Amino acid sequence: MAVLVGAALGLAGAEMQTVLNNPLASPFTLGVSAAATLGASLVIVMDLSVPGIGATYLIPAGAFVFAVGSVMIIQMLARSFGATTDTVVLFGIAMLFAMNALLWLVQYVASTDALQQMVFWTMGSLGRSTWDKVAVVAAVLGVCLPLSMRKVWAMTALRGGEDQAKSFGISVETLRLRVLLRVSILAAGAVAFVGTIGFIGLVRPHIARLALGEDHRFYLPGSALAGALLLSLASIASKNLIPGLILPVGIVMALVGIPLFMTLILTQGRKL
Amino acid sequence: MSAGLSLNGISVGYGGRAVLSGLDLPAVAPGSVVALLGANGAGKSTLLKAMAGLGGATGRPSGQIILNGQDLVGMPLEQRVHAVGYLPQALPQGSSLVAYEAVLSAVRAVRPDTPRDHVEASIERVFDTLGLRPLALRRLRELSGGQRQMIGLAQVLVRNPRLLLLDEPTSALDLRWQLTVLETVRRIADAERSICVIAIHDINLALRFCDHVVVLGHGRVLASGPPTHALDSDVLRHAYGIEARVEQCSRGFRLVLADRALPDAGRAATPFQ
Repeated sequence: MAVLVGAALGLAGAEMQTVLNNPLASPFTLGVSAAATLGASLVIVMDLSVPGIGATYLIPAGAFVFAVGSVMIIQMLARSFGATTDTVVLFGIAMLFAMNALLWLVQYVASTDALQQMVFWTMGSLGRSTWDKVAVVAAVLGVCLPLSMRKVWAMTALRGGEDQAKSFGISVETLRLRVLLRVSILAAGAVAFVGTIGFIGLVRPHIARLALGEDHRFYLPGSALAGALLLSLASIASKNLIPGLILPVGIVMALVGIPLFMTLILTQGRKL
Repeated sequence: MSAGLSLNGISVGYGGRAVLSGLDLPAVAPGSVVALLGANGAGKSTLLKAMAGLGGATGRPSGQIILNGQDLVGMPLEQRVHAVGYLPQALPQGSSLVAYEAVLSAVRAVRPDTPRDHVEASIERVFDTLGLRPLALRRLRELSGGQRQMIGLAQVLVRNPRLLLLDEPTSALDLRWQLTVLETVRRIADAERSICVIAIHDINLALRFCDHVVVLGHGRVLASGPPTHALDSDVLRHAYGIEARVEQCSRGFRLVLADRALPDAGRAATPFQ
């Protein structure tokens, strides 16, 4: 599961950083993670049930629907007001704050048990994985990665400048909206099953960029690979840092990610 | 099918305000280099974008842009980019892309199925033509503004388009590179029989390297013709709001000598007829 979730979020982060031309963009910039958390929290606090679907899948389903829904709203707004990178990022930040405010509201009215469950969900953990869930994330990645690879030249050209890309006949707005939709599916598919994992999708594209450059034929799979590797290492660390205790991988990833990210900024910042 | 470029009644507007109104350009023959002159905001970039099919906020222009017998207005962008190469005013951004990759992506984004050997040969040829081989493996973020402008030009030239639209291709370049670019464009137009339209602020470079000069102002063509006839003091006063003389240098080129900027009142005079 760590390999698949890491790859999905690494790929999503790389694509998002390219289309938004922003090295700080990640699936979390647009509030995808916050929306997923809200969706999961609502299912928990309202104790929703659907005949034939257990809570094990209903909570991820709620997270998935909200994550994709948040990006759809951003896309609609961006389409109405002009889908420039600045517009999309601003709507994303607004979405992030809105989702967090709603999340706090849900937490405020939640029962103690529900609140505990929500907090645990938001920590991010690979411990809830089953082979069925692995298959779902694998399917999401299996569909999205080939679609991403079909647009590698357009994405590479976009890194040379938006005006330049347009002059090559690339419909940058359409490309951006399609990529964001794909990113939301990738991020939601991954986050829905494992919860929030900090710094995924943010650090890994930078590692791939430093190692492989920005030719997207190599950069996109490289970022997915870096994601898979890092989350796997974080997963191993989460099981071995404290003997007898498995820490939520989200905590480990954030604790490892922050110094790694700071090191990258301080040593390679000019190259990012 | 008549070869060449002509504009018939081109109008472009931003939100109801006309930037270009009923603009005509008599047929320009293949192999010509056309200079678009005019003050800031005269509509040079707008016209080039309209010709490139990149109207953006201006939307689709009305009128006809006839290139080798085909009307470019209404032609899908994917089809137009095969015939038209456009160099935007904005420089390629300083990303981690290697210069070679930036030029490669320009070819692959437009013609993904071109054989690899052919693409590599085209890129090497354009790097040699522009003297950029030493920069081929440098990242864009490591290059100066002028060097990135040259890479942008390479992205256009590598596709060998029939019509080149260059928006201030020398704005970030020193004198030597300005001459290199214009000499190269001149040579390519002559050799390939392509047509090149250049928006440029340096009037003297335009007069030296171009076959045809078009002066824009007040949303239309203020003057048009060969460099020897298109410009005089009146045109320069109305187009730029300056007092200037047009003289002939010892090597036979026309030379504009600007004496002073006129007060705003002089500039806002009745449009030149």
